[in-house]
Amino acid sequence: MDHRQEYPERDELRAKFTRWLETVIKRAKIDYLRKYENRPETISYEDIPEKELIDLAQRELWPSSTRMQTPYDFEEERLTKAFMELPLKRRQVMELLFLADLSETETAKRLNCSLQYVRNQRCIALKKLRSRLMEGGDDE
Amino acid sequence: MNASEFKKVLQGAVLGNHRDLESILELYMPMIEHNSYLYGRLDEDLKQYILIHIALNISKFKI
Repeated sequence: MDHRQEYPERDELRAKFTRWLETVIKRAKIDYLRKYENRPETISYEDIPEKELIDLAQRELWPSSTRMQTPYDFEEERLTKAFMELPLKRRQVMELLFLADLSETETAKRLNCSLQYVRNQRCIALKKLRSRLMEGGDDE
Repeated sequence: MNASEFKKVLQGAVLGNHRDLESILELYMPMIEHNSYLYGRLDEDLKQYILIHIALNISKFKI
């Protein structure tokens, strides 16, 4: 007996569903590749050990203008002091934004972190610097 | 699974029955896994993505 005659319904429905499923799977795969393949592998900035950040800052990966300088060459000594008191990660955000004059987007890309992280760090750092300078008064 | 069983299960999956959907996914798992290979190895994320994509779209299949 012909196989098609024995299972005509199965052949038709399964074949139709299988073809449909193949299309759905192909589309899903294309969609997945578009979404995830071009995305650079990122790790949270918080997850980078501080030692590696220091190494990174000292290597040629960073333009000389953004390399960490100690002490900072600010005209205002109190600002240098306050700046040095910032945590390393926050300091690097500030260095790239204000010393290297990079945009927020470029800074985020350079540090492999999100734009929002850069904005948050900048906001916190500015608040800290402002409050440290206000605390200092005129006598310093 | 014979023709009528398959039709019944497929109808259930299309109508949103989870157990039927699982049966369909299990039945087609070799095809799904075959398409979940990237650079020579099974990409679990892609597999999950495909499974979700099927689950979200199966209701559109016209029996």
